[in-house]
Amino acid sequence: MFSQHVSRKLSAYCHNELPVEESRLVAEHLIGCQRCRREFEEVKLGIQFAEQLPTTSAPASLWSEMEAALNGRSTAAESARKTSGLAHVFRWWPVAAACAVLLLALVAGTIWYSARRPASPTQTVEKERTQPSETNPGPAQESNPAVAQTTTQNSPAVPGDKPHTGQVVNNNNPKPSESGVGASGQTWEVARLAGAPKLGDNRLEGNGRLAVGEWLETDATSRAKINVADIGQVDIGPNSRVRLLGTRSTEHRLALDRGRLHAMISAPPRLFIVETPSATAIDLGCSYTLEVDDAGRSRLQVTSGWVALVLKGRESIVPAGAVCVTQPGKGPGTPYFDDASQSFRDALTKLDFQNGGAKALNVVLAEAREYDTLTLWHLLARVRGAERGRVYDRLAALIAPPKGVTREGVLKLDKGMLDRWKKGLEWAWFE
Amino acid sequence: MERRATVSERKIDERVIEACQRGDREAFRLLFETYQDKVYSISLYYFKGDETSAKDITQQVFLKLMTKIEQFRRDAEFTTWLYRLVVNACMDEQRRHRRFLPFGDGFEMTGHGDKRTQEDRYASVEIADSVKSAIGELKPKLRLPILLKYVEGLSYDEMAEVLNCSKGTIASRLNRGHKILARRLAHLRGALPVR
Repeated sequence: MFSQHVSRKLSAYCHNELPVEESRLVAEHLIGCQRCRREFEEVKLGIQFAEQLPTTSAPASLWSEMEAALNGRSTAAESARKTSGLAHVFRWWPVAAACAVLLLALVAGTIWYSARRPASPTQTVEKERTQPSETNPGPAQESNPAVAQTTTQNSPAVPGDKPHTGQVVNNNNPKPSESGVGASGQTWEVARLAGAPKLGDNRLEGNGRLAVGEWLETDATSRAKINVADIGQVDIGPNSRVRLLGTRSTEHRLALDRGRLHAMISAPPRLFIVETPSATAIDLGCSYTLEVDDAGRSRLQVTSGWVALVLKGRESIVPAGAVCVTQPGKGPGTPYFDDASQSFRDALTKLDFQNGGAKALNVVLAEAREYDTLTLWHLLARVRGAERGRVYDRLAALIAPPKGVTREGVLKLDKGMLDRWKKGLEWAWFE
Repeated sequence: MERRATVSERKIDERVIEACQRGDREAFRLLFETYQDKVYSISLYYFKGDETSAKDITQQVFLKLMTKIEQFRRDAEFTTWLYRLVVNACMDEQRRHRRFLPFGDGFEMTGHGDKRTQEDRYASVEIADSVKSAIGELKPKLRLPILLKYVEGLSYDEMAEVLNCSKGTIASRLNRGHKILARRLAHLRGALPVR
């Protein structure tokens, strides 16, 4: 029985890209399903239009310009080869000779030192101490066995247990059975990606664990990666400061005080939340980049799925390909797609954070494209009176409201109607 | 079926590729002449009619092709590699400039048969311009499969390889792209050539 709708397969069906049997099933379904037949007609029309796309001839001068560039490259490459070849000859011999002399000196020195030095009981001990083993992880921990034990167990859950400032956290292979707090799910694994991030008061070398309430901080040259329980990863960029606020099966919450993070979350919506000074980012199943500047303003760019940005009842829904900025005290601005023009963005900033004005609204309405209905739909609730009417009219001209959604209802911000219209617009926003 | 987005029947065979790998300038010219219009068209439509960007991209792609062709392995499809270069160059350029490009009005039209009446030609020009404009308005992720399909005529498998995604994703993006084109251009339905 082939009862599922076939709308997703229609282009492949029209292009003969489906296996024969599947193609036959689609054809049979189309006979009996009016809804899919309507969509089929729409896809076919789209294909007919796309087929009108002509191939445009490249400018005739292109080859001669290419040839000139190629000749230029050949000449440059030839002279570079000659230069580097000579340089190679001249540079190689002195370096090789110096290396050979150094090597000889090293070998001779070692033989001489071994021959002169009497064997002693301490020699064996020295040898053992300088070779890290399972029981002796190395000089960094050796200098303070108490710290070594604390850091290996990754359990700075109680403030008093934290290693002292300047100590090094280095646990390259944390095992759940050894990780104490980590085993109960109260810490997240953190890996150093570059430089020397700070985990609490300690420099992170290799891996460590971020406990609830603890800060992870990077400087201009460091980066780190956090494994968010078992639902995804967060890369922490340079000059960033994040804190784990809480982690349990129903919610994982992080604070981004400043800097930049990139989250890739594969969990059901609303499980992963990031608080910034000017809004809260709620993951709706996605990946995104969130940046916070020193003034607490943030910028969210979504690369897949959706993210909701909220502050005190003001909410922006940001799909893949879109951006949203926030300001302290004002919350999330209106989302827009990242290929919007600079004038569109500037006008939106005025509307969101600088008391707007008819001029700014004119720019947004004039430049809005079909998928900018994302911006217009959000603006409906953010402008008033006659301006709302203008937004409605432009939105309706780009994508008509579905049945039952009236101008009057939308201008009164009827939630049911706004939601229904949003559903009808999502196809244009979706990546 | 009338189809104006023509697909080149000229195939670049292994001998031409080998000659290019040996540095044969004439072979490279043949390769360039075979693909230049396709590469230029994809770049032009990707950048919403910006001829300067399209020219830059075309040059970049062929220069890269020329300098890297020695590394080309015969087990890979040449066109897949070529169009991957085009897609990457377009996306890099877009990332660099993040520009908003309105459509110019100087599109050169090709492919008009002499037998068409003047009226047909006007209708055809109007449709082609509207289609280009509507495609330029698509999001890049929907725009690229449409361009690869209708400028170059790649199969779903080839597009999946060029764009580094699954065949299902290609099917889904084309579906969305087709529906958007149909909705945006519905008013021109009557001007389409009879099939």
